Amino acid sequence: MNCSELRDRFDAYVAGTLPDAESAAFESHLDGCLACQEALALQHRPLGAVGTLPRSVAPPADLWPGIARALASRRRLRGRVMLPAWLLAAAAELLVAASAAGTLLLLRRWPPVHPSVQPSSNLTALESQYSAASAELTRALEQARPRLAAGTVATIERSLRIIDAALAESREALARDPGNQGLAQLVVAAWRQKVDLLRRATELGKAD
Amino acid sequence: MRRHLVAMLLVLAAPLAAQQKIERRIAIAPDASIRITNMAGLTRITGWDADSIAVTGSVAPGAGFFFGGRGQVAKMGVERRDETLAEPGSTLEVKVPRGARVFVKSGTANIEVTGLRGEVECVSVSGSIRVEGSLKLLIAESMEGNLNASGPMDVVQLKGGAGTITLRGARGDIMASTVGGAIVVTDGAVVRAHLETVSGTIAFDGSVDPRGTLESVTHSGDVTLRLPPDISAEFDLESFDGAIVVGLAGKKPDREKPLKGKPVSFVTGQGGSHVIVRSFKGEIRILKR
Repeated sequence: MNCSELRDRFDAYVAGTLPDAESAAFESHLDGCLACQEALALQHRPLGAVGTLPRSVAPPADLWPGIARALASRRRLRGRVMLPAWLLAAAAELLVAASAAGTLLLLRRWPPVHPSVQPSSNLTALESQYSAASAELTRALEQARPRLAAGTVATIERSLRIIDAALAESREALARDPGNQGLAQLVVAAWRQKVDLLRRATELGKAD
Repeated sequence: MRRHLVAMLLVLAAPLAAQQKIERRIAIAPDASIRITNMAGLTRITGWDADSIAVTGSVAPGAGFFFGGRGQVAKMGVERRDETLAEPGSTLEVKVPRGARVFVKSGTANIEVTGLRGEVECVSVSGSIRVEGSLKLLIAESMEGNLNASGPMDVVQLKGGAGTITLRGARGDIMASTVGGAIVVTDGAVVRAHLETVSGTIAFDGSVDPRGTLESVTHSGDVTLRLPPDISAEFDLESFDGAIVVGLAGKKPDREKPLKGKPVSFVTGQGGSHVIVRSFKGEIRILKR
């Protein structure tokens, strides 16, 4: 399956309607193709789906664990468990899931109709999923570090410090104003930046 | 003294003597997938109207050049003992069919792409990336280098870090993000655009499709959008600790004094487009072009 054929099957794959053989070929290609991983994440970002999403349906809080389990079991069946690829796929899938959740937050009326509402459990669940992905990718980055130039490592660390500072500031503000959807969006944006940076840094350290 | 001078000249000349010139060419399909790796130096790719790949350039001392492929795929690159070193670099000048799908990987090497109309993906650690053309898809990432894209591309996804992202003449769907680098969009006519940076600034000058969306998100960077004075759009603006200035003359609200810490929502014309700006402490300016 080449890139073009894979991209024609995005929707069917995400919907789970792809036949098994095609699904296996799809995942096999996706494992080794950063462009398609990115395109998949991009196509299923809120920008692509904004016109079709409902305005008031909350995303399921356990979306990511289900995806992770499904991916893990499929790969075990095929006997091809490869940690770096899994991490990359996990990051991409998490971005997709988080973007969908972010979209739903975004599509609510702004300013929030109910400013006194406590932060949703969805945001809490989303943060814990981002945190887990971030920890996994940080470990993978440590393994990749010897293959990166010292200057690159310094840049990555500097960028992570900037993101972490922004994340801390946004979370602190959200703690003071828990119902603020705009602040929740900024927290999600900072997490998204962090996971994406870690994924990219890990990818750079992969042998070609 | 003379002996020293001769010895010094020999030392200086040695790397030049060891440079390996390359000149290779193979036939390939017009829509082939081509992968190019050159970690240090310069990779310049040009689209041409021939069903072949032609490579010229010079390979750094101690490095090896590989090149192969046929039909739908081709692969080439420079291999070095230590890929993390910035020097010495190699220069690859590659001509490929205009409709080819091209993937380029670099460390410190700069990447330049012109004249293609297919799909291009460029990944660099610290090199700059410059792409010109009418592409169906452009994906470019650099941790430190600047990203520069110009031309009417259908889908553009640019991810930077410390470097600046510059987009000229962008059409269609755009996603651009940086950590500390600025994002600058000029002469844009976007359908869906998502611009996001942590501490960099965002400057957009262009129009939004009547049913399109322009979303900008920063933590501390300022956002300046220059839009057509007659834009029909729904605006949602919010900066939690930064000023908001709306300078679309004749539209409501037309604020002379900056608003701070309060969300601003308003509609111009009949609505249609959706302009969203969210920042934690950056200033938001909505101005007319």
